[in-house]
Amino acid sequence: MATVTNWIDHLNKPADQVAGAIYPGAGSSEGLLVILAIIIWVGWHVLTSKSESDELERLARKRHGPNDHKSNITDW
Amino acid sequence: MTDQLTALTTIFTEFYYWVTVVLMFLIHVGFCMYEVGASRYKHHQHTLMKNTMLIPLVTVTWFLFGWWIYWAFPTGPGIAPSIMNESTALITDDSLFSAKFQVATSSIMAINLGDHINGVFWAAFLLFSWTAASIVSGAIIERITTFAFGILAIAIGSVFWTIDAAWGWHFDGWMLKILGYHDAYASGVIHAIAGGFALGVLMVLGPRIGKFSSSGEPRNIGPRNPWLVTIGLFLIYTGFWGFYAACNIPIFDLGPEYGMEGISYWTATNIYVTPTTLSGITFNFLMSLSGGLLAGYWIAKGDPFWTYSSGLAGIICASAGNDLYHPIQSMIIGMIGVVISYKLHYWVERKFKIDDAVGAVAVHGYAGFIGLVICGFVLNGYPSSGYSVGAMWDGTTYAAINPLGMFIGAIIMFVVLGLIPGYIIAKVLHGMGKLRIPREVEIAGLDYEIMETAKSDEKAVASATR
Repeated sequence: MATVTNWIDHLNKPADQVAGAIYPGAGSSEGLLVILAIIIWVGWHVLTSKSESDELERLARKRHGPNDHKSNITDW
Repeated sequence: MTDQLTALTTIFTEFYYWVTVVLMFLIHVGFCMYEVGASRYKHHQHTLMKNTMLIPLVTVTWFLFGWWIYWAFPTGPGIAPSIMNESTALITDDSLFSAKFQVATSSIMAINLGDHINGVFWAAFLLFSWTAASIVSGAIIERITTFAFGILAIAIGSVFWTIDAAWGWHFDGWMLKILGYHDAYASGVIHAIAGGFALGVLMVLGPRIGKFSSSGEPRNIGPRNPWLVTIGLFLIYTGFWGFYAACNIPIFDLGPEYGMEGISYWTATNIYVTPTTLSGITFNFLMSLSGGLLAGYWIAKGDPFWTYSSGLAGIICASAGNDLYHPIQSMIIGMIGVVISYKLHYWVERKFKIDDAVGAVAVHGYAGFIGLVICGFVLNGYPSSGYSVGAMWDGTTYAAINPLGMFIGAIIMFVVLGLIPGYIIAKVLHGMGKLRIPREVEIAGLDYEIMETAKSDEKAVASATR
């Protein structure tokens, strides 16, 4: 995965090769990383949406009044 | 300086570090706001004073001996020879970067027209020291004496973190050579060590009264003021930009530095004097922050306190390799670090009855440790330095970054230089009866008398007619 294994050797290369990407997997892993990012992005929305819906439904079932929250204000 | 280009490069570098110091000051402002927001009303002013007084305590000791330690200890001493003088002794000879010049009596530890860098570089490192001490400060609020915290702040801020910086951050550090250690933006050098130190202190200090029920179930205490916590953490994020910038050299010619004849290569470098770009680390900073926030929001089910803290933990986890990672790698590493740290926090709390009031051990210690371990795998094979590349354990050359070396490095940071010293110093302070405030004062509140006086003053003023 390492694109550089020796900085002196790397900087001795022709200028166009020195001034390039140096992250792990440069030139071979970008597509996979983007696919992973999209999966995480979609997965996060699915998971948090479900979690939020469950929480809201649970709260709705309790049928609290408009002023009930005032008795829950803390005074640490 | 007699030519314009040298003057421009030098003054730019001087100004660059000066600005990073100003930005990093916001980290301390953020920590003060965050701690006051997390503590209860009856402890506010003492909590604030405790964290404020670390500024002079650490600054003066950093001037007297902390900075000297950084320049003297890269060899261990006795572990790996310096590339400057080939000796394994403390670096106190006439070498260019010797600790000999970093003592309080040295002429470059003052205004000196022949030196434009030492003061701003000293200050940048000093602000790292404040951060290390502030990380510990948050974990132990509402029950430690200010005296004990002062001793602990000096120990972590001016001694132990500076030893680890000499070993794992200095361009001549033995951990780079023997282990292939790499920690560009201080996952371990600041965060793992401070988190480990805080855990060691907490093991001796014990929980706040009321934190655990008689059956051992943990209870949530606070935060008193979520808004202060929010603004405090945003300020810490902001100051973290300055921290990242301060870990770089903004402009440097690596050709002559690496002994390459006829080659000139101007670039920004990381702390190890290897190339990176400010542009690239900006991608990674923001993507790891985002990864941390996404994971924190999900794992903590939208809890604001943990979501904000997770943004910080995401950056901290990716920091070791954020000079080289791809932005998506940074994001994923930040997410992994947050999930593990969050789970570990609650497991340790329940299992060992550790009361870490602000989650500092998790956000800084566990996330930093995990970040170092992950870095060993993702950056496996990259050189830890530009000066040479050699085998692990050799010591005369620099080992490449590798998983085993990074794991050992993480243990050194979190346990050897963090947890063990924190535990021992806290034990000594406890033995002297100086560690914890009296039970009665903790129940009444550290600010009881201040509040009582203020109340009687208020009554007197309210009833006054002239």
